[in-house]
Amino acid sequence: MSSSAIKHGVLVALQDLDPSSPLFKRGTSLRVTGKLDEYSVENALAVIVDGDFKLKIDVKHLRDLNLRIGSIYQFIGELLIAPNDEAILQARVGRNVDGIDLNLYHQSLQLLKQFQENHVSDHVA
Amino acid sequence: MMNPTLNFHVKLLGFDFLSLTQQPSSLSSSSDPISFYRKGKPISRVETVGVVVSRELKSCKFLKFLIDDGTGCVPCIFWLNHLDSPYFFRRNPSDVRIMSKIANNQAAQIQLGVVARVRGRITSYRGAPQITVADVVVERDPNAEILHWLQSIKLAQSCYNVNLPIAPLNR
Repeated sequence: MSSSAIKHGVLVALQDLDPSSPLFKRGTSLRVTGKLDEYSVENALAVIVDGDFKLKIDVKHLRDLNLRIGSIYQFIGELLIAPNDEAILQARVGRNVDGIDLNLYHQSLQLLKQFQENHVSDHVA
Repeated sequence: MMNPTLNFHVKLLGFDFLSLTQQPSSLSSSSDPISFYRKGKPISRVETVGVVVSRELKSCKFLKFLIDDGTGCVPCIFWLNHLDSPYFFRRNPSDVRIMSKIANNQAAQIQLGVVARVRGRITSYRGAPQITVADVVVERDPNAEILHWLQSIKLAQSCYNVNLPIAPLNR
């Protein structure tokens, strides 16, 4: 993939990733964060959780990442939607973020989105 | 009064960096053919923090990489041609060798998935802004990127977006 074709992973909380979300589309580039709940080496599939919300992660492209149940990870990749409306993130980048302050992360995300919206509206005005 | 956005490394988020406007440089003293502006104010140096999502190394020449901070992908070029570039011919050769070694060590740390803090000059490549890297460090603190978001927002609101009064000249 050429670098110019790489899109940034839109920051999204798992709770905001439901079928009604505009981000819930095949091919959308996302960045998600959560605690590793399940991991199957055979299928290269992981599941992360954040509160009551879960997301499957396809980790077959992440050869150098050591995955440990209970640790917190951040993944960037593209969303795939199964016929049953189940979302799977095909990760191209992943990293361990044990020690991240998730409350601060979620609050900062709100501020960041607000700042981006204001910036865009300033440019339009 | 010095222009705060021209003479320092401006902490910018990716989307903000990518929306900088460009004009041919009007300053005859400037070595850069292009000048960059954020909301009408000139900017020459930036600092950004994000995940390395792409890397292309041409040994002894350059490392090209992309920093994704969740709002945009910032293209970066890190020159590693110290030993061949005419730019360094007038410098002390032992200094240049040390600079080359430091740059190569920094470049080796820039791997896919790490969070990097990049500082450098804004340049133009094929019409788009990029960072010509002066220095780059890998951030180990998982909260470093969050802190950069908050600092960038705070600085934009309290400094970069503010029109400072021009101080009277002391005669």
